[in-house]
Amino acid sequence: MNLHPHAREDRAHLTAGRGALTVSGLDKSFDIGGKPRKILDSIDLDVRPGEFVSIVGASGCGKSTLLRLIAGLDTDYSGELRLDGDRIATTSLDRGVVFQDHRLFPWMTLEQNVELALLNTDTPKSRRAQIVADHIALVNLKGFEKAYPHQLSGGMAQRAAIARALVTEPKLLLLDEPLGALDALTRVHVQNELQRIWMAQRSTMVMVTHDVEEALYLGDRVIIMSPNPGRIRRIVEVDLPHPRDRRSPLLHRLKDEILAELTGGADDANAADNLIHLPNREARS
Amino acid sequence: MKNALSRSSVRLAIGLVAPLLLILWWQSQASGATATFAPPAAIASALAELLRSGDLVRDTLATLQRAFTGLTIGAPLGVAAGIAMGIWKPVDRLLGPLLHALRQVPMIGWLPLIGLWFGVGEGTELIVVSMSTFFPSMLNSHAGVAQVERRYVEVGGIYCFTTLQRIRFILLPAAMPLVLTGITQALAFAWISTIGSELLTGAGSGLGVAMQTAQVQQRLDVMLVVISVTAVLGFLINQLFRRLRQSLLRWQPAQP
Repeated sequence: MNLHPHAREDRAHLTAGRGALTVSGLDKSFDIGGKPRKILDSIDLDVRPGEFVSIVGASGCGKSTLLRLIAGLDTDYSGELRLDGDRIATTSLDRGVVFQDHRLFPWMTLEQNVELALLNTDTPKSRRAQIVADHIALVNLKGFEKAYPHQLSGGMAQRAAIARALVTEPKLLLLDEPLGALDALTRVHVQNELQRIWMAQRSTMVMVTHDVEEALYLGDRVIIMSPNPGRIRRIVEVDLPHPRDRRSPLLHRLKDEILAELTGGADDANAADNLIHLPNREARS
Repeated sequence: MKNALSRSSVRLAIGLVAPLLLILWWQSQASGATATFAPPAAIASALAELLRSGDLVRDTLATLQRAFTGLTIGAPLGVAAGIAMGIWKPVDRLLGPLLHALRQVPMIGWLPLIGLWFGVGEGTELIVVSMSTFFPSMLNSHAGVAQVERRYVEVGGIYCFTTLQRIRFILLPAAMPLVLTGITQALAFAWISTIGSELLTGAGSGLGVAMQTAQVQQRLDVMLVVISVTAVLGFLINQLFRRLRQSLLRWQPAQP
């Protein structure tokens, strides 16, 4: 396994403590009906410290599985998965996660939820209240500290979840379709906030999304994945400074390109798979 | 606040309609006390007599003490056992079958056996009451922990919770609604089994003992007083606990 120890040590030294993610030769299979089925097939990806990377792809391409592996929620994989040179073998306070469902504990107030994330950090107790208040203010939820999750709207709860994920100051923030459950208007609003937060914090972020526009608006790069088994199909550089203008022609051109890639551009073998064969009717045509 | 007050007093008034009608009907049927019938007026005078002699207070306190002592022994053990079985599968496999078989026996069914072992008296009654509160607490707590959603447990994983932290901050609060449902049931069971075992063993003082004595003395009016006190007290205790439950679960969205 340890083929190039020197090379890796050099790289680890270069990026130590800054949130550099290295994925190389990553394979992941699930057991389905007793047979192993490949979900991720030799994924290679380097995410630079402070970079915002979006991952898009059809459902079933393994993008959420990839995120769960990086989070350390699933440790059954082969290949390399490293954050700042350290192999990912479990969850860690270095990696924050925001899910599609906010997953705030319903039995705690917003404030208690955010503070609970600090439970196992070495943040001194005396400073915790201030840090929690700062992060609640960061996501514009001042005044709702004592609210229970069921008293918050969907967008507010999702922002609270982002505050909870950021309060530990993770080197890497993983976002698994974080805005997928929100209505279109709230979505745009939280996208703007996410961009503002990322620009303020500059921690590394990896976001999985269904929404190509969202991927382009936020991402420095957009990773396009294809299913069966999940592979990286293409990587699109979005060479625009932040904060971005949604009306930018480049974003629109890239969006059309990526949509074409995701819907029409399948190679012949895959295209044939996608046709529906109705055996009895084939003879007629 | 005022609005809520008036609404709850209206609800109280509506709740009193049926009992009052029952008493009125009863009185209208009455011509005089016989061995099998006592009009409400006779019951009222029996109540006054029992209050004056202090018997009723003594019996009520004895029963309350017995029921709550049994509850404070049985319910915590039941909650602890249920939670342990919910968290650790081996504990469930080890104890589950035994406990599920044992709970099929009605609590009163244990009385002869336990009476044989421990003699007729305080100890036997306490054991029966504790056992009757143990099972509903255990079953509901077990179900409560078993149904905690994985997604919340995962959040604990992300923040590197220890096992104890997971139990304290996720499993216990998530299971709390069902744990409290179990304790509510245990409360009712404690009340029923206390009166029941007092009736059957008939030792010392207690509402059940008073019932039995009244039966022997053919005092129907006394019997009815004791039954009414039992019903009203049981109802009040249950209401009190419902309040407590609501305040403990105020994080839940309002039930429609």
